[in-house]
Amino acid sequence: MKGTMSEIEAVIGLETHIQLNTRTKIFCACRADSWGADPNTNICPVCTGLPGVLPVPNQAVIDKAVRLAAAMHVDEIRPLSYFARKNYFYPDLPKGYQISQYDETLARGGHLDLPMPDGSVRHVRIVKLHQEEDAGKTVHQGGRRLIDFNRCGVPLVEMVTAPDLRSADEAAQYLIRLRQLLRWLEVSDGDMERGQLRCDANVSIRPVGFEGLNPKTEIKNVNSIENVRAAIEKEIERQKREVEAGRRIEAWTLEWDEDTGTLRKMRSKETEADYRYFREPDLLPVRLEAGWLAAQRAALPELPLERKARFIAQYGLPAYDAEILTEERTLSEYFEAAVAARGGEAKSVSNWMMNDVLRLMRERGVLAGDLKLRPQHLASILRMVDERKITGSTGKELLARVEAGGQDPETLVAAEGLGQVSDEGALRQVARRIVEDNPGQVEAYRKGKVTLIGWFVGQVMRQTGGKADPQRTRAVLEEILAAGTDA
Amino acid sequence: MSTPLCDLSAVEIAGRVRNGSLRAEQVLDSALERIRAVEGRPPSLEPYELQAEDRSTVHAFITLTEERARAQARAVDDAVAAGKDPGALAGVPLGVKDIFCVAGTPSTAGSRILANFVAPYTATPVARLEAAGAVTLGKVNLDEFTFGSSNESTAFRPPPGNPWDPGRVPGGSSGGSAAAVAAGEVALSLGTDTAGSIRQPAAFCGVVGMKPTYGRVSRYGLIAFASSLDCPGPVARTVSDAALMLGVIAGADIHDATAAHVPVPDYLGGLEQDVRGLRIGLSPDYFKLRYPDPQTGELREQPITPEIETAVRSAAEALARQGAEIVENVPMPNTHLGIPAYFVISRVEAASNLHRYDGVKYGFRYAGPVGDLKELYRKSRAAGFGRQPKLRILMGMYVSAEQYEKGYYQRALRVRTLIRRDFEQAFDRGGAHRLDALLTATTPTTAFELDAVYGDSVLMQYADLLTVPADHAGVPGISLPVGLDAQQLPIGIQLLGPDFSEARLLQIARAYERQTQTEAWRAARPKVLNL
Ligand SMILES: [Zn+2]
Repeated sequence: MKGTMSEIEAVIGLETHIQLNTRTKIFCACRADSWGADPNTNICPVCTGLPGVLPVPNQAVIDKAVRLAAAMHVDEIRPLSYFARKNYFYPDLPKGYQISQYDETLARGGHLDLPMPDGSVRHVRIVKLHQEEDAGKTVHQGGRRLIDFNRCGVPLVEMVTAPDLRSADEAAQYLIRLRQLLRWLEVSDGDMERGQLRCDANVSIRPVGFEGLNPKTEIKNVNSIENVRAAIEKEIERQKREVEAGRRIEAWTLEWDEDTGTLRKMRSKETEADYRYFREPDLLPVRLEAGWLAAQRAALPELPLERKARFIAQYGLPAYDAEILTEERTLSEYFEAAVAARGGEAKSVSNWMMNDVLRLMRERGVLAGDLKLRPQHLASILRMVDERKITGSTGKELLARVEAGGQDPETLVAAEGLGQVSDEGALRQVARRIVEDNPGQVEAYRKGKVTLIGWFVGQVMRQTGGKADPQRTRAVLEEILAAGTDA
Repeated sequence: MSTPLCDLSAVEIAGRVRNGSLRAEQVLDSALERIRAVEGRPPSLEPYELQAEDRSTVHAFITLTEERARAQARAVDDAVAAGKDPGALAGVPLGVKDIFCVAGTPSTAGSRILANFVAPYTATPVARLEAAGAVTLGKVNLDEFTFGSSNESTAFRPPPGNPWDPGRVPGGSSGGSAAAVAAGEVALSLGTDTAGSIRQPAAFCGVVGMKPTYGRVSRYGLIAFASSLDCPGPVARTVSDAALMLGVIAGADIHDATAAHVPVPDYLGGLEQDVRGLRIGLSPDYFKLRYPDPQTGELREQPITPEIETAVRSAAEALARQGAEIVENVPMPNTHLGIPAYFVISRVEAASNLHRYDGVKYGFRYAGPVGDLKELYRKSRAAGFGRQPKLRILMGMYVSAEQYEKGYYQRALRVRTLIRRDFEQAFDRGGAHRLDALLTATTPTTAFELDAVYGDSVLMQYADLLTVPADHAGVPGISLPVGLDAQQLPIGIQLLGPDFSEARLLQIARAYERQTQTEAWRAARPKVLNL
């Protein structure tokens, strides 16, 4: 930040559209997800608004919207809410109106307490949370407009924050936490690149301490969290330059150009359009029974930030571990199941998960919940290592083998003789042979290069296929090498 | 001379086709012969000038689907021959108001903007009728998008004439339906009622028309006018036929979230029960027309046509003779607000429902050069829509604009609640009146002459003054013929009842019909059949 007269802060509000991951669209039986489908292949009379059709609400949409609302700590989920028509003309809006919610929407209020990496917490208020249908897609090509109706009727939740965010980093953090929450709740896949999470940012600046709101610009068409951060950062800098040059900020709509990484003015903000909202007569009011609502709230899983805090408190994990282990819901559940199966040893479970299980997941491209290596497998491997039935390196090898085949690790160890070589006689025999076969190294060791002991241990491990207990091996080797000096 | 097959009732046709004593194809041939005899030149989009011979023919059909009908009739006959159940409406000729989508058949809504639209799917009530063995002869004329009470606003002209006097209107918007049924071109027609669009033409054409409870019949496939008011329903020559048809089309539908999950009773089963002890009300508010003067806004009052009032009172006496209890002076104080509230609510919904006709995806598109997308919209809609849709869009846009919405739309919705309350109080089982039905005239006048009222949208709308309150309230109503006026034009009365009381209304209507079966006027035939 430049040291001008007073310190300047950014004021940012985010308008998000969340595509719910239901099986079918919001008002018809077409698949909700058309990713990769050819244009206009996932449509029907209802979602293309042919004359005479009627919308029929998809209960799964209401379920997921309610779950999201509950997780956003809304002040109220209305027992009676209404759909409304938002009327406007556009070629990709086949009915000439969008079915949305306007007055008496699904939920009122809400907030997200956003932890920042520096340890501070930003309280972000939600000012709008409602259900609506998506419109189609217009592609401009060679002076022609091509329209794809596949996206028509895809269920969305529109969620708008108050102008509570104060930097591009906070905006990015908000989206990271929102995406985490959407996946956690299984309401949306939250993939910005696929348009499952869309974000417009309203940006203005003001001197720190000034409580009013200055004219804002709206940034549209940004399709990744990194780009949201970059676009907001650029816009804040631009606004600062404008103000420093004595110019006023005008209420433009800006478009992010991904290729050049720049913002382009789309249009000056016109006067507010009149959408002539009125309640949708083709749909009954959405009635939510008090008992059903209470059950939905009760069924809400522990949320990621709550779970992180509990992991720290309950298992004594470092914040770093707790953060990573609660990044995704099945991972956190995996951890807890493994700790339970192991009967404690949370830090050891955490270490193995953060180092080895996560690598396995990355290699296979799956979530923890989809691993063949189940939490009880991990626990039993850890137990065998801790009880010195197998070596650590055998344990690590086992992770991959169980993941590949799904067999029980104890059975594998027994069947393939992977148990640790603890027979003193056998170990001694291998050690002695290695000492005899390597007179050069022995001489160097005896002349004082004692670090060579590691090399000798490694040789034994190789000969035994990693089954020797490294500490025991070292003791035996030291004994043999020492004995030789006397001879 | 024996009765032509096409003049038989639907109940009789279906009964005889089902027992093998009559073939559906014979009935179809008879209906086609009638159509050829009475239709006159087919309505079209061509520039139109009323010719003398147009005043003696019906012009009910926009689209005749003879081949489809032939295939359906044969399928029914094959089913009977194979010992299979051909359905409750086996072989009954059906005309569908051209506001319903029927797969593979033009669905025009009586508008140039949809003249070339062929629906890829079939409306639920039509699908149910066809599944029950009805034989669909085609799509019948209507006011453009159902916007009117005379059929003169259709883009397909000549507009239908009233079979009792083709120089007069058949009423509307289900005018083609009522005319085709009255002239014996079909036994049944599927109509829609938004402000009286089934009952008013039924009254004008001397047939039976029923507007069911809102939600009783699915709207899926009905090209929407005012979604919160539109009700599909039967048009028939007899009460029993209307009951038979309603039983087929009524019931919940997975394609319509507003279709009620209320069991469908056997409407025919209880039809012959007597009316002893039933309480039937008369309201002074339905014997006069109160309406705000279109210029000054001053409330004016005028009695309904005396002949019609007399007809209503003598119908009440006929029912009283059968043991019904007549309850006089039932107040329905908000009746006069029905039309103004309807003007607002229906236009707001209509303007929105008509948004989709933009010349882009289907239907009429302006063929000349256009500068941009907006111009394409404007030119297509300007050339595609007739006068009525344009008026209604303008008014709908106006009263739903942010700055007027509270003063008009929200207020009209409150008026609607008041009208609903009138009915609730009249029908309240623990109330002062405890009515089973309210008996009123269907229309303030009998059928008027072509061009007499058309052009005055406000005056035209008052043809619906007595019918629109039931649409606001969502309650069912049935119009039935009770005689002819001095000009030999049919007079209709209506019975209005509480939600889902269709069976009771049909029972009362049937009692009246039974008692007056031998009256002289029943032998009279529409003029087009006497030529
Ligand atoms: Zn669809």
